[in-house]
Amino acid sequence: MKAFLPNESLIPWLKDLSSSLEVIAPVDVEGEAVYQTWKGQPPALVGNTLSSPIEVLMPRTEVLFRYVQDSGRYTFDEPKVPTRIVVGMKPCDLKAVAILDRIFGSEPTDHPYLAKRRSTLLVSLNCTDPGPWCFCAIMDSGPDAQEGFDLALTDIGSGYLAEAGSAAGVLLIKGCSSGLFLEADGSHEASRDILLENARSVMAEKYGDRSVGHLRRAIRSADWEYLGRQCLRCGGCSFICPVCHCFSIADLGVPDGERVRCRDTCLLSGFSRMTNGANPLGSIGERMRNWYLDKFEHLPERTGLIGCVGCGRCDEICLAQIDRWRLEVLDERSRQQRQQHK
Amino acid sequence: MKKILTTCVYCGCGCGLYLHVDEGKVIGASPSRKSAASRGKLCIKGWLSGDFVNHPDRLSYPMIQRGERQIRASWDEALSLVASGLKGMGPSAVGVLTSAKGTNEENYLFSKLARAGFKTNNVDHVARLCHAPTVAGLSYAFGSGATTNPISSLEEADAILVVGSNTTEQHPLVASYVLKARSKGAKLIVADPRRTQIASLADIHISPRPGTDVAWINSLLNSIIKEGLADRDFITKRTMGFEAVKESVLSYAPEIVEAICGVPAEVLREAALAYGSADKASIIYAMGITQHTTGTDNVQALANLALATGNLGRPGTGLYPLRGHQNVQGACDMGALPDLYPGYQKVVDANARAKFEKGWSTKLPKGPGLTAVEMIQSAETGKIKGLLIIGENPMVSYPDRSSVQRALEKLEFLAVCDIFPTETSKLADVVLPAASFAEKEGTFTSTERRIQRIRKAVDPPGESRSEWEVAAELLRRLGVPGDYSSPAEVMEEISSMAPNYGGVTYRRLGAASLQWPCPSRDHPGTGIMYIEKFPIGLARFRPVDHMEPVEGPDGEYPLLLTTGRSMYHFHTGTMTRRSPLLDREVPSPFVEVNSEDASRAGLRNGQKALVETRRGQLQLEVKVSPGVPKGILFMPFHFSEAPANLLTGASLDPSSKIPELKISAARLRKVSP
Ligand code: SF4
Ligand code: SF4
Ligand code: SF4
Repeated sequence: MKAFLPNESLIPWLKDLSSSLEVIAPVDVEGEAVYQTWKGQPPALVGNTLSSPIEVLMPRTEVLFRYVQDSGRYTFDEPKVPTRIVVGMKPCDLKAVAILDRIFGSEPTDHPYLAKRRSTLLVSLNCTDPGPWCFCAIMDSGPDAQEGFDLALTDIGSGYLAEAGSAAGVLLIKGCSSGLFLEADGSHEASRDILLENARSVMAEKYGDRSVGHLRRAIRSADWEYLGRQCLRCGGCSFICPVCHCFSIADLGVPDGERVRCRDTCLLSGFSRMTNGANPLGSIGERMRNWYLDKFEHLPERTGLIGCVGCGRCDEICLAQIDRWRLEVLDERSRQQRQQHK
Repeated sequence: MKKILTTCVYCGCGCGLYLHVDEGKVIGASPSRKSAASRGKLCIKGWLSGDFVNHPDRLSYPMIQRGERQIRASWDEALSLVASGLKGMGPSAVGVLTSAKGTNEENYLFSKLARAGFKTNNVDHVARLCHAPTVAGLSYAFGSGATTNPISSLEEADAILVVGSNTTEQHPLVASYVLKARSKGAKLIVADPRRTQIASLADIHISPRPGTDVAWINSLLNSIIKEGLADRDFITKRTMGFEAVKESVLSYAPEIVEAICGVPAEVLREAALAYGSADKASIIYAMGITQHTTGTDNVQALANLALATGNLGRPGTGLYPLRGHQNVQGACDMGALPDLYPGYQKVVDANARAKFEKGWSTKLPKGPGLTAVEMIQSAETGKIKGLLIIGENPMVSYPDRSSVQRALEKLEFLAVCDIFPTETSKLADVVLPAASFAEKEGTFTSTERRIQRIRKAVDPPGESRSEWEVAAELLRRLGVPGDYSSPAEVMEEISSMAPNYGGVTYRRLGAASLQWPCPSRDHPGTGIMYIEKFPIGLARFRPVDHMEPVEGPDGEYPLLLTTGRSMYHFHTGTMTRRSPLLDREVPSPFVEVNSEDASRAGLRNGQKALVETRRGQLQLEVKVSPGVPKGILFMPFHFSEAPANLLTGASLDPSSKIPELKISAARLRKVSP
């Protein structure tokens, strides 16, 4: 089902939604768009946010349960799962959800993830204006959403072309106050196609040299020791990635407290270190390599999908500005130095 | 679910970040693209800066000592006790140690509390242990003791000299700009006894024997002058005293210095050439320069080098003393120092005193007070009887732990305000629970003089309160006029009293930031300092000479112990050790040893060793590391179960009174299992 949401109806529609659901949308905080609970402000549906809305399904830290001890017996209490609708999710993040669904949905299934997944509606926004770091088109995950959304929007200037991707999506159009959505016609779809084609060619021109095959070769030939020496170990390339999903678990508090899990990163040595101190991934270079292998070799094997959706966030936040997609040593002098070190 | 824009609580880089909040709790942190300093990047501590906020160990109600125990008390009771307890001691017997973790507003109010409330200038903070020599040294040389250029200016340098700074670990954001400059072709020179990550990326690595910095820095100047690389024009127009320095460095020819420092003469020459011939050269330094009895001289030696080559007042040049705590710069700016009022106005200057007496409507004490380490030492001799310690843990961070403990136990009255129980709060008569950075409003000033807001993301736990409220409440009880309803109001008072903050208001700060000096409301702030002139007119050279460290290795203690930090922990670990990932990364104390020294002691990687100095001994795990030169032991000081400062000494730099934390004679033994 398709419909057209004129610009002036966007806020009334969100209001409508927020009467029954918690609406999570990008809003402007001190000049930058970030996802948070929508409270009536104009949504900032432009560009991609630095933090992915994937956090709604996979928060940086979440409480698994609270434990209370009473005369030697423990009782457990699981937090309530909120009912949410995410508005504005980009196709790259949506593709990440598809990957996570396969990971967390395979046996043994991950209850905390799936519980949130089931109670969250996803309204995606196709990318007509890719950001400076975006290369989703190359990774086949954008600029338009293919599947996994309840509703997909495309900003065509005068408003949004809305396409339902699920029964819930149809309800999102039909169930709201009358008059907000208008009928979509062929011209809306034609504008959408032109805009998306344009986005696609922008990315192809800029990042056409990136491809999975290319990267797989680079992983084999890269000088990991040297790249590792440059890494500043910020862990950001995992924390920011909508596909990275490793976590660790901690109990906070004795005798009563909370069991929490927090997103982790394989760039830290503690991630792979054994209790006896031995570490199969002892150097930063080896751990960086592992990060790539997971995304481009292991995940595809496990899920059939590449573990990178081309959102470009890890490029943007890399503290050491490592050349992430060619994995080359940056400049001539470093190359010489690297020779000397050998 | 919401995100609150704020400023990182850990190091002095001042990265901007969002705290992620859900259900009233901080659940994460992520970078802000808009941050002028960090531009969408963070280090690992920043990414995990929200972790400690919810920790169940947080102090949540005031406590007072009754018999052997600390029992719960009301705020009213606790505050009255602090006010009367300290007031009763008399001005010369009380002291206030403020916190470089606190906001500017809080430091301002505690500085005011000490001076106007308790009538004492005995107020100081942890800068004494890090950058007191910088304040002393650079104030003399340039007229101001802060970083001269914005961090981003490093990108434009043609050469960068990094001295005694483990930049990639301690100031990762600064390191990221160094790497940027490097990939654009800048020469990187790193001086550090250890082969740190940044040293391994350097073009030239100078590995001097600890405590010989003046000698090798002088030798660089010696070669620069000899090669005709000095900037004659800059020297004549902008400086004074060059001739004396030129004279004094004559005796520091690289060959002579090689014998003192153990650095090959040709390495010194090469470094001199790299720094001296660059059009734009910057110097970055940290604790490796300052934590010495010659700290102030070390700083002056670097200033001499920059002045002689005209590397000041332009993009890509300058001196970067990197500040450890996120607001140690601000605490200094706010006069949390025994000899300076807010805005670096001298306590001994009668005009300045008159200004503050008028502004604060009260009489103020004359003459500078005691420094932090002196306060602790005077507590041991009984001269100081009462201390108020804000957010600081001297039991772990100060040198010579046993004597710190004796001193604190001897006090008649000790009040501690903190977010977690610490080794120090356990000794307190009154413990006040404080709000963390995520639970209050205020401003921090980063190492590049950048004043930035922090914002309240969540409510503080239990009854805990912001430190500015505690200070305001104590001021009220001591009858000092001033009724503050918000930190913004405190900032208004600051801007009226401290000229370098004259133009700073919360309205202007918004999402943006301001770099001081910002003297008036229409002033845009100052990125690069000294473009046209120095605050003292002409900058001052001063000849400095090499002096051997107070405690060198000898037959009995043949090794040199030097202390430092780990990238994953902060200060005494009260916050980082409560972050699951940070704590997992470096879970326990260790000593780094060169393989030769290790095998001489019969030690293998991972075994337990006994490290002894004249002050004490510690058992901890050995890490055999090729990065540590022969004869040197390295130990991080974050761990209260093996406090490195049990081993360090408290010999002081005569002018800045910083203790020599970087050098102690030590020996190493295997512990039989
Ligand atoms: S690897 Fe980088 S570009 Fe790919 S999805 Fe993750 S953050 Fe985005
Ligand atoms: S983002 Fe860059 S610097 Fe940070 S851990 Fe990843 S590779 Fe290293
Ligand atoms: S570099 Fe410093 S200020 Fe920036 S995130 Fe790391 S600890 Fe925080």
